Amino acid sequence: MAGDGGITRKTFVRGGALGAGALAAGGALAGGLPDLAASAPSASQDEATFAYLLELEDLQAAFYAEAVKRGALTGETKEYARIVGQHEQEHVAYVRKVLGAQAKPAKDFDFGDTTTSDERFLATAVEIEETGLGAYTGAAINLTRGKLAAATRIVSVEARHTAWARDLADKNPAPVASDKPATEREVRATVAKTSFVKDG
Amino acid sequence: MRRRDDMHDGPELELQLAELDADDALAEGIESVWGDSRADFLAKAAVGSGALLAALAAPAAPALAKDKGKAKGKRQDRSILNYALLLEYLQADFYTEAERLKTLKNESARQARVVGAHERAHVKALKGVLGGDAIKRPSFNFHGVTERPQAFRRTAVALEDLSVAAYAGQGPRIQSRPYLVAALGILSVEARHASWIRRLAGKTPAASAFDEPRPKPEVIRLVQATHFVSTPRKRARTSSKRSPRYTG
Repeated sequence: MAGDGGITRKTFVRGGALGAGALAAGGALAGGLPDLAASAPSASQDEATFAYLLELEDLQAAFYAEAVKRGALTGETKEYARIVGQHEQEHVAYVRKVLGAQAKPAKDFDFGDTTTSDERFLATAVEIEETGLGAYTGAAINLTRGKLAAATRIVSVEARHTAWARDLADKNPAPVASDKPATEREVRATVAKTSFVKDG
Repeated sequence: MRRRDDMHDGPELELQLAELDADDALAEGIESVWGDSRADFLAKAAVGSGALLAALAAPAAPALAKDKGKAKGKRQDRSILNYALLLEYLQADFYTEAERLKTLKNESARQARVVGAHERAHVKALKGVLGGDAIKRPSFNFHGVTERPQAFRRTAVALEDLSVAAYAGQGPRIQSRPYLVAALGILSVEARHASWIRRLAGKTPAASAFDEPRPKPEVIRLVQATHFVSTPRKRARTSSKRSPRYTG
């Protein structure tokens, strides 16, 4: 349920003000390009970019698959895991198709106890969706035009997932006016901190 | 409890006039305001808002032979950013009016406040980038939709989904990389808005694994079909008031 009062007024006001401020300060549109652009878009760069995005899609798909399989989730959270898990599987299939024979097999994951309750699951879902979204918005500009158009159709879906997970976790679904792209280095650091990806 | 019966709706076309025109509110409003049939209204609209929208929808003027490359890319970028600006003006006014009229309560009021602030920030940012090339803010007439919570939410769903589809369609065509990064950052926020309002309206927040982009002419046609874009002269006579709604 989108309960009334789950999110405090203070959180919202602060979120709105920050977002407006960041944009008004010119950071998003008029400012310099953050450290995102690799070299000029090319087929080989597309491949590297999609290989990186595939790792994240694999992680997301595995997380939701485990949550659904474990069966500990309830109500709309359970519905969220089922629907979003299906989407992530479709994204994995799409990216694997683009990569063809170059696609690496999915790694093994260990999600610990994160799928054992609605609360733990949602906290992790918010984190991996925010990370995936930042990765896509950061990586997309390195793609050639055709691939960029395809990735854009995934960006907005990841954003929908993120907002939905945040709403279920009683967080402001859209805390800022412009989402910040993340560099590959930032994303990899975040993923490493979770210890979800097994070694080897 | 939330209604769950429509949690599985597909990537349906959200912004159809029928969907927007809940309870024939627009049609009623139009007739009561002008005493016109819808056909007459459409003919009139073609002169006012229609001209503006058509101008936006038209492809950029063909480049001179020696004027290719960068200059053309810049012109195209400006045209895309102005198109985005129109949609942001529309959304910003929509939320601002609902706030002003105090139509909404609780979570819905919070959504309108937060999202309205974002849309106004988008307007400000786009105007800042476009400078003297920015299109002027058109006048809007929401025909009472901002006065009724349910109609408001349904229309907000349509506008947010449309804005996602518009950014997805034109964003990847932006040549300047800083603008492209910014457009993706805004697209992502519009998609969060869409997700949020869909949930409030009892719809599944993410209906499909891939969002469908919409070409510019189609978006312009859909915006035109709402009759929300008004002319300044008409605005003076028809701006939304809580009461009386129909002055005949």
